[in-house]
Amino acid sequence: MNIIKTKGFKTNLYAIFLTVPMNKENVTFNSLIPAVLRRGTQKYPNQLEINKKLEDMYGAGFNCGVDKMGDYQVLKFYMETLSNKYLPQKQNAVEFLKELIFNPLVENNAFKKEYVEQEKENIKKLIESRKDNKARYSYDRCIEEMFEGEAYGIYKYGSVEDLEKINEKNLYEHYRKILGDARIDCFSCGEEVEKIELPTRENKESQVSKELQEHTVKNKEIKEPMDVSQGKLIIGLTTPKTPKAVISMYNSVLGGGANSKLFQNVREKAGLAYSASSTYIRRKNAIFIKTGIETSNYEKAIEIIKKQLEDMKNGNITDDEFNSAKQLVISNINLIPESQEDLISYYFDQKLYEDNLSIEEYISNLEKVKKQEVIDIAKNIDIDTIYFLQGNEKDKTEN
Amino acid sequence: MEIRKNNEIDETVYTETLDNGMKIIIIPKKNTRKKYIIWATQYGSIDNHFIEPKTGDEVQVPDGVAHYLEHKMFENENGVDSLYKMMSLGLDANAYTTNDHTAYLFAGTDNFYEGLDELMSYVQHPYFTDQNVEKERGIIGQEIGRYDDEPAWKLYVNAMDCLYKNNPVKIDIAGTVESIAKITKETLYSCYNTFYHPSNMIMCISGDFEPEKIVQEVKNRLIPREEMKEIKRIYPEESKGINMKEKEANMGNSMPAFMIGYKDELDEDKVKIDLACQIIYNSLLGKSSELYQELYNEGLLLNQLDTSFEFAKTYSHALIAGESKEPRKVYEKILETIKNKDVSQEDFERSKKKIYGDLVSEYNDVEEIGRMYLADAVKGINSIEYVEKINDITLDYVNEILKKLFKENESVISIVK
Repeated sequence: MNIIKTKGFKTNLYAIFLTVPMNKENVTFNSLIPAVLRRGTQKYPNQLEINKKLEDMYGAGFNCGVDKMGDYQVLKFYMETLSNKYLPQKQNAVEFLKELIFNPLVENNAFKKEYVEQEKENIKKLIESRKDNKARYSYDRCIEEMFEGEAYGIYKYGSVEDLEKINEKNLYEHYRKILGDARIDCFSCGEEVEKIELPTRENKESQVSKELQEHTVKNKEIKEPMDVSQGKLIIGLTTPKTPKAVISMYNSVLGGGANSKLFQNVREKAGLAYSASSTYIRRKNAIFIKTGIETSNYEKAIEIIKKQLEDMKNGNITDDEFNSAKQLVISNINLIPESQEDLISYYFDQKLYEDNLSIEEYISNLEKVKKQEVIDIAKNIDIDTIYFLQGNEKDKTEN
Repeated sequence: MEIRKNNEIDETVYTETLDNGMKIIIIPKKNTRKKYIIWATQYGSIDNHFIEPKTGDEVQVPDGVAHYLEHKMFENENGVDSLYKMMSLGLDANAYTTNDHTAYLFAGTDNFYEGLDELMSYVQHPYFTDQNVEKERGIIGQEIGRYDDEPAWKLYVNAMDCLYKNNPVKIDIAGTVESIAKITKETLYSCYNTFYHPSNMIMCISGDFEPEKIVQEVKNRLIPREEMKEIKRIYPEESKGINMKEKEANMGNSMPAFMIGYKDELDEDKVKIDLACQIIYNSLLGKSSELYQELYNEGLLLNQLDTSFEFAKTYSHALIAGESKEPRKVYEKILETIKNKDVSQEDFERSKKKIYGDLVSEYNDVEEIGRMYLADAVKGINSIEYVEKINDITLDYVNEILKKLFKENESVISIVK
């Protein structure tokens, strides 16, 4: 149970996270559970009742879903209410959140059939419409290719084939099992918050392993054609496991912001793209470069990006580039206390991976990083997988 | 300085109008390290035809100039890119263009005054050359390409095309590859000199500030400009009624998206209409409504509808958007509900509570506050009016708006498959 005291917010945010290992057998079951739970409880048997209650609580917000964090799948449940100061009468947010997770509508030792069938259908549609968001889809696809056969390569909503095997009975069994086995973390964030007391259970300690899977380098180059006018290029890099602060700095110099090598060279100098950036996935020792380009500029873009990686290895980083990259990373961390959701995510990640760094310690680790360390680490960061969502080449005979 | 305090939500808004006509709005916020500033000119994509106040000449410019100008403002004579410089200060700097304003902004926890120096310097010092204007064409071309692949954008533009015959709100904000080809440094300077005058500009600041002090800081950084007469904007005449009933586009979406629009031709307080619309949406179409439950249970809707009441000085409409495998069926059901149902006393009370909660929550983040106050100020509204007016909204008024605004023959639908 974690309490995060904040001042200056109009709201209190409560969160309960159930963490389980990511694997192919269970991923689809897990992704269905929050969807079914939010349909009805013993006390509020349908969505109409749930939503009416939330609105009556002065527009309290309930939200849930699944997330992929490293090799884990996390079932997340959030409840946000106005803080007491702005409420004509106090609202019982925690009780409501617990009702939704721990007191679902159960008939004959199973979830309500109708809810399970509808939610299966909804997740099916969600999976089938993946391609609608081209940027998100390309990024997910690059991860799938790069981590093929590994936990992190699994799509967080699971698969349509697995949905067919699920019914109200086996899903309920699975839910009971999760309640017994999952790691459970609770957070209350606000000025004057309630504690979250969980129902007692047999296995006090969760069975979730803390080991990260080893990654095998793939050296893939994938081109997937699609009817789009702009191609999406995603490049996955593998990094050493530590020191994370140095790799964070490497990522910021490479593609952190408008001053980064990617933005300056792919966009500003070559004019190939509107955006060019990179993201560091700390818990999977990977960096992903993302940009959107004309399909005919593919070779050119790859060449420019490779040149940036080489430049980093050769130590071609100016003090200006390095210092502004550091400013950017640190100011992003400074912003964490400005959002209750970010605060909860930060502390959850720190606890889950047993780093337990305060925000101040985290910043001080980044402050200590020297340029030479970034140049040294650059020698061990290489391209793993190139993924290109290939658009139509512009017809050159046209005008 | 005008001061408006609201005890219910414990917020105070300070508005100062400077001698040169520029408006500064300050929403102080204690207990936060983050500071936010946004500075806008009331100049957007729809302002493509106007009379230059200085010469009296009527000017018509290619589509996309306001946005092109936004891209070029970061460039300086000494070669420094201001976006780069602000990022190096650890500030999250950005700019955007809408149909009625162009804004430059930054947020950050440290180096606020260094950022303010840079922001106020680059916005007041345009530097356009043939070469730097040319270089930007490719980048903006890519940005336009990105919009072209964006189903959500297509959906919106087509809805506007249905609602309005001539209003430039239906033109792409960034223009087209063809229209931006005609933009030169002369076009940019002409528009800059006309629209980037303090009398046409608004600034919003939120964070831990003393209002008087921050106003002085801003004044110290303003460069004196000659007084300017009011800018005459020429908009095409818009006739009553809609342009066309529906428009469909095919973009290979597995799940069709739809947007229903109702043109608003009422001459009434827009804040009150907006609040009434929110109550109507929540009561009749929201998550706690019978219609939503029915559509969800039939698998016709996966998520709640995205509803809004959008207005500016030249247009006003209500929008209802969503995704469905059968958009036309959902359209029919929505029309039928809106036509035949009234908001009940119970729904009204509950919806009002929810909207109050939503309004208060908007004051969590200085960035959200600044953005909201700016967008409203461009429409001539002080955002705090929403909190002030919600208590005055009656059930009778809501049902009156329901009848007057949501008229079936004024409804349109845009679908993207």
